[in-house]
Amino acid sequence: MPERVEIAIIVLVLIGIIVSSGTMYYTATVLSSTSTITSDVSTLTESVANLTSSVRDLATITGSLAQSVNASVAEIAALKARLAEIEASLAVRETLIVGTTDSVELTLDPAQAYDYFGWNILQQIGSTLVSVKPGSTTGSDFVPDLALSWNSSADLKTWDFNLRTGVKFPDGTTFSASDVKYSFDRAIALIPSIPEGAPAGLGYGDIFNRTEVLSTSKVRFHLNFAFSPFLGILSARSSNIVQQTYAPIRQVNYTAGNPRASTPVAFVGPYVLARWERVGARDVEIKLDANPNYWNLASGYPKLKHIIFKFYPDAATLRLAIEAGDVDMAFRHISPTDVLDLENNPNLRVWWGTGAFIQYLAFQEKRAPFSDRRVRMAVAAALNRTAMTETVFLGLSNPLYSIIPPGMLGHTEAFKDAGLDANYTLARDLLTQAGYNPGNPLQFDLWYESSGHYPSSADQALLYKETIEAAWPGAIQITLKSAEWASYKENRDDEIMDAYVYGWYPDYVDPDDYAFLYWATWLHTNYYNSTYNPGGYADYLQQVAWYDEARATNNVTLRAELYAKIDAIAVNQSSVIPLYVSTAWAVTKPSVYGIYLDITQDMRYWLISK
Amino acid sequence: MGLRTYIIRRILLTIPTLLLLLTMIFLITRVLPGDPVALHFEKKATPEQMEQMRKQLGLDKPVWAQYIDYLGGLVDINYFMEHGYPNLGKSMQTFEEVGGQIFSAFPATLELAIYSMIIASTIGILLGVASSKSYNSVPDHLIRGFGTVAYAIPIFFLGIVFQLIFGVYLHWLPTGLRINPSITPPATITGLYTIDSLLEGNIIKFFESVKALILPSLTLGIILSGIFVRLTRTNMLETLRLDFVTAARARGLKEGTVTYGYALRNAFLPILTMMGLQFAMLLGGAILTETTFSWPGLGRYIVQRINFRDYTAIQGAVVMFGLFVTGVSLVVDLLYAYFDPRIRL
Repeated sequence: MPERVEIAIIVLVLIGIIVSSGTMYYTATVLSSTSTITSDVSTLTESVANLTSSVRDLATITGSLAQSVNASVAEIAALKARLAEIEASLAVRETLIVGTTDSVELTLDPAQAYDYFGWNILQQIGSTLVSVKPGSTTGSDFVPDLALSWNSSADLKTWDFNLRTGVKFPDGTTFSASDVKYSFDRAIALIPSIPEGAPAGLGYGDIFNRTEVLSTSKVRFHLNFAFSPFLGILSARSSNIVQQTYAPIRQVNYTAGNPRASTPVAFVGPYVLARWERVGARDVEIKLDANPNYWNLASGYPKLKHIIFKFYPDAATLRLAIEAGDVDMAFRHISPTDVLDLENNPNLRVWWGTGAFIQYLAFQEKRAPFSDRRVRMAVAAALNRTAMTETVFLGLSNPLYSIIPPGMLGHTEAFKDAGLDANYTLARDLLTQAGYNPGNPLQFDLWYESSGHYPSSADQALLYKETIEAAWPGAIQITLKSAEWASYKENRDDEIMDAYVYGWYPDYVDPDDYAFLYWATWLHTNYYNSTYNPGGYADYLQQVAWYDEARATNNVTLRAELYAKIDAIAVNQSSVIPLYVSTAWAVTKPSVYGIYLDITQDMRYWLISK
Repeated sequence: MGLRTYIIRRILLTIPTLLLLLTMIFLITRVLPGDPVALHFEKKATPEQMEQMRKQLGLDKPVWAQYIDYLGGLVDINYFMEHGYPNLGKSMQTFEEVGGQIFSAFPATLELAIYSMIIASTIGILLGVASSKSYNSVPDHLIRGFGTVAYAIPIFFLGIVFQLIFGVYLHWLPTGLRINPSITPPATITGLYTIDSLLEGNIIKFFESVKALILPSLTLGIILSGIFVRLTRTNMLETLRLDFVTAARARGLKEGTVTYGYALRNAFLPILTMMGLQFAMLLGGAILTETTFSWPGLGRYIVQRINFRDYTAIQGAVVMFGLFVTGVSLVVDLLYAYFDPRIRL
């Protein structure tokens, strides 16, 4: 049995060896695997750590990125805001806000409009064939506008104009001679239905015979009589060129919300009418935008892209608006006292210019006392114009001694030269001759307009009364009377006022538009009436003859002589006594420049910069 | 009498009131010196042309016929339906429809009136209550003094003072106009800029129109608040002495509740009536305020049209004022009747 035992032992040993080896191998394998796993875990851990780190990095990067994005968004917003600011600033710099107490009276139709402000707007949005050079001192230096050149026949009855070519209306059509003919034909055709319009007032019906189209760029005017101030008429706003599409043969009126339909004027001027709002027949806002088709665009006009007009009820509120900076410019009307005060304001600038508005004293000659020429002359002699201009207008107007203002052809100092100014001795002599003295005083009513139609009327009237009465205390007794504009005009027509102060604003800057005031029938002085003024009627006829002769000649020397002769008779007759001529002013912020306040009284907004 | 009967009777009563107003204004404008046709034509028209214009405007007819024509136009329903406003005739100067002109100017006045009334009643009632609560003390005297000064001070003076302080010196607020000149006004829906700018969703326009409203409505509001201060104070003093106030206090109610919840409610009816009456004065004051603040409303419209003897325009504007005041009075009376049943008895 020992062998079996041995064999068993050997088998067992072998089994043991095998098992041990297997176990060892397995263990080694397991150990090896464990090591691998450990390594893997380690690697995994490391990877996780790396991953975590990466995620952290990513989060950091994302955070940074988000920060960057946020910063960029903020920067973009800031840039946008800055851009808006710059745009707003540019818009402000390209916009002029004008405050005024004016308003378009009724229409922007050249066939009707006859008021300063309406004409001023028409000048910005339309064009005439010729215009007066900015800064003109005489009003007679004409420059091309829609006409490039012109000439007249020797008899001054035929006038040819070569037109500017390539001028476009906003709808793309081209301006031509037929538009000129249509504009004047229309203005004249409408005179019977619009007798209060400017073409009627300027005598288009009498002056124009016909308009002839010679070619697309050449037009000829045939006049009924020789008329030397014709260029003045053509430069007036009533001669603005209209566009046929918008200019029927009837008056074009304001159409709410539709500026293009509110005026027949061809938009060929520096600006177009972009907005026109009226409330209750008075302007509330007018906005002009630069005309992209303006023929003079290449020269840099208009300087500003937008002009906005804002409307104030009186001079006091307008003054406050310019002082508060609500508007860039205040033009018509800041009162004389205010404008002198504003001159001391360092935040404002006052612009001074020539005036063409005049006032004069008219006498009713159909009855005593002013049916007597000597009495009229006595009052004229007693007037102290300088005291009035210095006291009432604080020096912002000038005494006027001829109905034609200084600077203009034909102006004289006739009334001063004849001693009809603050000449109390002459006044006494004349009154004595007429039978007046302290025992039999000269008594009359002096009328003035009381609703603000003329500047400082009541103060003027008071000063006239005081200075005239001072000529011979007790021998002159003046009663001041007033009426507001409506009644004042009615009184004038009813011829109930003994002596009355009146005013004139020119339609065109030429003595032709002033001299006739000495005998204007609508003034109702009866100077022109042979029944009431038999002694002066021949003088009146002579004045008219000289006036017509002056109209019919281009000879400036001769014209000046003729107007001087008209003045001489006017002095002798003293039917209408010149009083003063205004000066003009505008107030702006200091940044505004390019303002010309010349004798034309035109405010040319396209020349203004900020 | 029931509330409905009272309302009908009250509405019917406004008709003779308006008719009387219409007749008076029609006659007054006819006797004013100045010929509207001559004014329109200046010195340019021939007598024939002027006669033709008189015919066109119906001025060649006898006054009674013009009156009948005018009344006929007012009740022209077809015209009203077509235009959205009554036929008030055509302006004798501009030949535009007077109704259209007035309705373009009226929203400005209405907006000013509304905000002024809010300011006037707020200031007036609060100060009036405070004055009555501090009866015979320094605050009472100060508030009474304020009431007197506010009532007596001229509108244009206060307006100019505000313009100088807040416009010229401080540059905080505009001195006039309905909105900043560089801003295009909101599209017209109601005509009230504050409402229209909100409807347009434009907050800048809203703030700008509010800024423009502050000074004119504050001016008018302060002037009108004077009478509210005095009225509220007097009524509150009487009411605070009544038994129910003592009873309310005895029950331990808070003083604020007693004052505003009980006493002011009882004292409010006369104030409400006064608010209605003050609307008339407010519109009158609007004429001056509108001029001071360059506010393009109905007040300025009337002044301009009077200068031109524009009969139809003056008539239309006065009728509009009359209608407005009558309407407000009617509403106040109805509210009064609603709150105080004794009125209906």
